[in-house]
Amino acid sequence: MGDTLQRTLTIAHTVAFPTTERERERRRIAVMCLPFLVLAVFAGFVPLATMARMSLSAERLSNEGWSLEAWKTLTTDSTYWWIGFNTLWFAAAATLVSVAVGVAIAHALEKYSLPFENAIVAVVSFPIALPGIVVAFMVIVLLGRQGLITQAIAVFSGESAVSLATATTIGGLFLGYVYSLIPRATMVLRGTYAEVNTDAEEAARSLGASPLETFVRVTLPEIRPGIVAACILTYRSALAIFGTVLILQGGLVVVTLRIDRELSIGFNSQMAGAIGLVYVAFLIAFTFVGLRFVRTDAVEI
Amino acid sequence: MSDVTLESITKAYGDDTAVDDLDLTIRDGEILGIVGPSGCGKTTTLRTIAGFETPTAGRVLFDGRDVTHVPPERRNVGLVFQSYALFDTMTVRENVAFGLEMRDVPADERRRRADELLELLDIAEFADRRPRTLSGGQQQRVGLARALAIEPHVLLLDEPMTGLDAKLKTRLRTEIGALLADLEVTALYVTHDQEEAMAMCDRIAVLNDGHLEQLGTPADVYRRPDNAFVANFVGTSNVLEGTITDGRLDLGFTELDGSFDASGDVRVAVRPENVAIGGPLEATVRQATYLGERTELVAALPDGTTVTLRANGDASYTRGDSIPVAIDADRIRVVE
Amino acid sequence: MQNEHSITMTSKTDTETGRTEAGSTRTTSNTGAETNTDETGTPDTETDTNTDTNTNARADGGTPANSTDDPWTDAGGSPSALLGRPVVVGVVVLTVAVLVVPIVMTFVSSFARTATGALPSGFVTLSHWRHVLGLGDYGVRANAVPGLTFSIAIATGGMVLNVLVGVPIAYALSRYDFYARDWVNTLAILPLVPGVVLGIAFLRTYPERGGSALGLIVGYCLLKSPYMVLTVQSSFQSMDLERLEESARSLGASWPRTFLTVIVPHAKQGILAGCVITWTLAAAEFNFTYMVHTGDPEPFSMFLFRNISNAPYLQSAAAISIYFCIVVAAILFLQLIGNRGFTTARN
Repeated sequence: MGDTLQRTLTIAHTVAFPTTERERERRRIAVMCLPFLVLAVFAGFVPLATMARMSLSAERLSNEGWSLEAWKTLTTDSTYWWIGFNTLWFAAAATLVSVAVGVAIAHALEKYSLPFENAIVAVVSFPIALPGIVVAFMVIVLLGRQGLITQAIAVFSGESAVSLATATTIGGLFLGYVYSLIPRATMVLRGTYAEVNTDAEEAARSLGASPLETFVRVTLPEIRPGIVAACILTYRSALAIFGTVLILQGGLVVVTLRIDRELSIGFNSQMAGAIGLVYVAFLIAFTFVGLRFVRTDAVEI
Repeated sequence: MSDVTLESITKAYGDDTAVDDLDLTIRDGEILGIVGPSGCGKTTTLRTIAGFETPTAGRVLFDGRDVTHVPPERRNVGLVFQSYALFDTMTVRENVAFGLEMRDVPADERRRRADELLELLDIAEFADRRPRTLSGGQQQRVGLARALAIEPHVLLLDEPMTGLDAKLKTRLRTEIGALLADLEVTALYVTHDQEEAMAMCDRIAVLNDGHLEQLGTPADVYRRPDNAFVANFVGTSNVLEGTITDGRLDLGFTELDGSFDASGDVRVAVRPENVAIGGPLEATVRQATYLGERTELVAALPDGTTVTLRANGDASYTRGDSIPVAIDADRIRVVE
Repeated sequence: MQNEHSITMTSKTDTETGRTEAGSTRTTSNTGAETNTDETGTPDTETDTNTDTNTNARADGGTPANSTDDPWTDAGGSPSALLGRPVVVGVVVLTVAVLVVPIVMTFVSSFARTATGALPSGFVTLSHWRHVLGLGDYGVRANAVPGLTFSIAIATGGMVLNVLVGVPIAYALSRYDFYARDWVNTLAILPLVPGVVLGIAFLRTYPERGGSALGLIVGYCLLKSPYMVLTVQSSFQSMDLERLEESARSLGASWPRTFLTVIVPHAKQGILAGCVITWTLAAAEFNFTYMVHTGDPEPFSMFLFRNISNAPYLQSAAAISIYFCIVVAAILFLQLIGNRGFTTARN
C-alpha cells in the first residue's frame, strides 16, 4: 500500500519534472490527454453521477433526500422489462439487416467497378449526417399518406392511400432504423474490405471455386472481424435512436422514447434517471465486451 | 573537434536488454559503421546518441561533455532515416532550411545556405517542389541536405539506403561517401548490409545481441574476424573444425603448416576466395551457381566437409564433377 | 512446357464451351470460340472445336478433358457466377434508391405548389422557401434564420473546442503506447452516453447553464468528438509520426514547436475533415438539444422538429431542404480534401 503510494508519487513527480526522455514522453502524454479528460469528466462523468443521484432523489425537481422508489418500480414493473426487450430485439433485427446490406454494398464497391462509384459512396454516406427527425421525414416521404410507395401501391391496387400508409407502423419505424444504420454499417465494412487480400480470392477462383464458394470460404473469414465491428457499432447506434421514434412512434416504445415520456408526462425525473443509468451501463458493458472481439482500428463512423 | 563517446551504455526495456554495457567512440571526422542482424541493438544505439532514448546506465559524451540527459533538440545531431521522414507540408528548400529556422537564422541567410546544400547534393532544380513528388533517391538527398544544414555535431544515418534499388544504392554510396569525407563530417552509419558498411565506413563495429563483437577497419574485420559470428556476418566464410598441435592445423582431410598460435580443438574461418582451384585436395561439386563473372561452388571434401569457393565464370561445372582444390594456409583465421 | 501449354488451352476452350452451354453471354463466348478456332485451326460448331482440342491435348501428352463429364466445365455456369453479381448489384441499386429518392423527392417537393395528387405538382414556386427563410410577409419568429444563425454559432463553437480537445488526444493515442491506452481510446472514439441521456443528466447537473449556449457547445463537443478523433487518427496513421517528430526535434525544434509546425500541418486534411463533420452534425443535433433547449433562440434542429411534426408537408420539405444544402456543401468540401463521403474513413 505504502509502496504503491510512493510509486504513484514518484511517477507524478517525474511527470512534472522529467529528466529522461521516457519521463518527458510521459509528461507529453499527460498534457495531450488532459483536455479530453477534462471534457469527459465535466461533460460526461459528473453529469452521469448526478443522474445516478437523481434516480435516488426523493424530490422530483432537485436532488434532495433519498428514495429507492424509482429503482423498485424499474425492477418490479414488467412494463419496463418489455420496453427493454422491445428495444433490444428491434435494434438487433435492424442491425442484422443493415449489416447484411452493408456487406453487399461494400462488396460491390470494392469488387465490381461500378459506374459513379464516388457518387455512390457520397450518397450512401449522406444519411449519416441526418438527425433522426429528418430520417423520420424520409420514411414519411416513402410510406406516408402522400408517400411515393403508398401512392404507387394505391394506383395499382385501387385502395385508398390513407389505409395503405405504413410510415407510422412498426414497418415504417423499421425502415427508419435501417435508413440511418445502413450507411454506418457500410462505412465500417468498406474499411475492412479495402484490406482483403485479393490474391487469395483469385487463387480460390483459379482452383475452381465458384464466386459464392470463394466468398464463403475466403472473403468471409477475412472480413469477419469487420462484420463483428460493424454489428457492434451499428447496434450501439440503433440503441441510441430517438428522433425517428419520437416522430413516427410506430406503436413501439423503446428506451429513449420512454425516458422522454417519463419527463414530459409528470416529470418523473427519478424514473428517467434510473432508466438512463441502466441504459448507459448496458451500452458501456456491451461496448467493452464487444470490443474484446475486435481490433479498435476497425472502428469508423 | 567533434567526437562522440558511449561509456558503458546499457539500455533495457523491462527484462529485455537491447544494448548491454557498450563502449564505443566515434572519432572526429570518421564514418563509423554499425552492422549487425536485426534486433542487435544498432538502432537503439543510434537513438541513444540522438537523445530519443535515455540509457538505463552509462553516459553519452559529446567532446567529453555529458549529454546523457540533454533532450534531442538541444544536441545538434543530424538524422537521416530509411523512410526519409521529410516534411510534406513544406517545399524541399523549406525542409532543408527548417533546422536553421529553429536556430533563428535570418531568412535570407537560411535560403542561401539551403541553396548551397541543394547544389552540393545536386538537387537544386527541385528546390520549390514538394518532397513527395521526388524519387526515392532524390528524397534521400533532401533528407541528407536537411541533416547537414545544421552542421551537426554528429550525423546519424539509420539504414539510409535500404529502400533504394541496388544500382542506385551503389551509385549513391560512392557519392555520399565522398561527400561526407570532403565535409569531414563525423558520422554514424547504421545498416544491416555489411557490404554497404564496408564501402562507406572508416571503421566498422559489429554488434550482436547488444554486445560489441568486433571493432576495426573494414579490412581488419573482413580479414581477421575475431570470432565465428563476425566471420559469418561480414562476408561469407567457411567455418571448419580442426585441431592444432605445435602450430600445425589438422582439419581431418588435410594438415596445414603455418604458425598457428592456438592449440587444441579449434574452429577456423576460411574465405571462399582463399580456397583455390588446383591443388592437392580432391573435391566433388555439390552445387554450382553461375553468377556471370564467377561461379559459386559448394564442394564436398573427401571426409564430407563442404566448402564454398569461387571459380572463374568462364569454366563450367556441373554437379558431380571432381575438382582439385587448395586452401591458403596463410589466410586461415582461428575464430574459436 | 508442352504440358503447360496444352492445359492452358484445354481449360480455356472448356470454359468457353461451358459458358455457351449455359446459354449466357452469347457475345463473349462467340468471340472466344473464334479465337479457339484460330488456335486449333478447325471447324465451326462448338462440339467440333471441343473434340479437336481434346485430340490436340492428347497428342501433346496433356490431360484430355471431356466437357460433358468434367465438373470444372460447369464453373462458368454455377448459380453464383450467373446470379451473384446481378443480385448484389440489385441490392445496391435498391438501397441507393431507398436512400436517395426521399432526399431528392423532398428537395423537389419544396418547389411544388400542391401535394394533393399522387405526385407533387405545380412547379416552380419559391413560396415555401420564402416562408422558411422568413422572406416576404412572413413573421421573423416562424422562420429558420435566427435558429440557423444560433445553431451555426454553437456548432462552430463546438467545432473549435473539438479541435482543441480532439487533435491532442488523437495524437497521443496514435503516437504513444501508455497505461490504459485502450480504455482511453475506446472512450475517445465511442461516445458512451447517448444524446438523450446526456441531455437529462446535463439539465440536473447544470440547471442554470445546461441549455445555454455554453452548455450546448460543451455537449455537442463531447457527443461529436469521436468523429474528430477518428478522422485525425486516420490522418496520423498514414504518416510516419515517430520519424517525422524525431527529424524535427533533431533539427532543433522543441517538442511543442514540433507539434505545432510539423505534426499539425501534416494532419491538416484530417483536422479539416473532422471540423466539417463535427460542425455539420452539431448544426442539426436533435436528441441532446431537444432535452436541454430552453426556447430562445430556438436551435435549428428544434425548428426542423416543429416543421416535421406540425407544418404542412411542402413547408417541412423546404425546411429540411435547407439542411440538405448544408450537407451537400459539406460532402462536396470533404470530397475536395480527399474524403469520398460523409465519413471518417479515408481512402
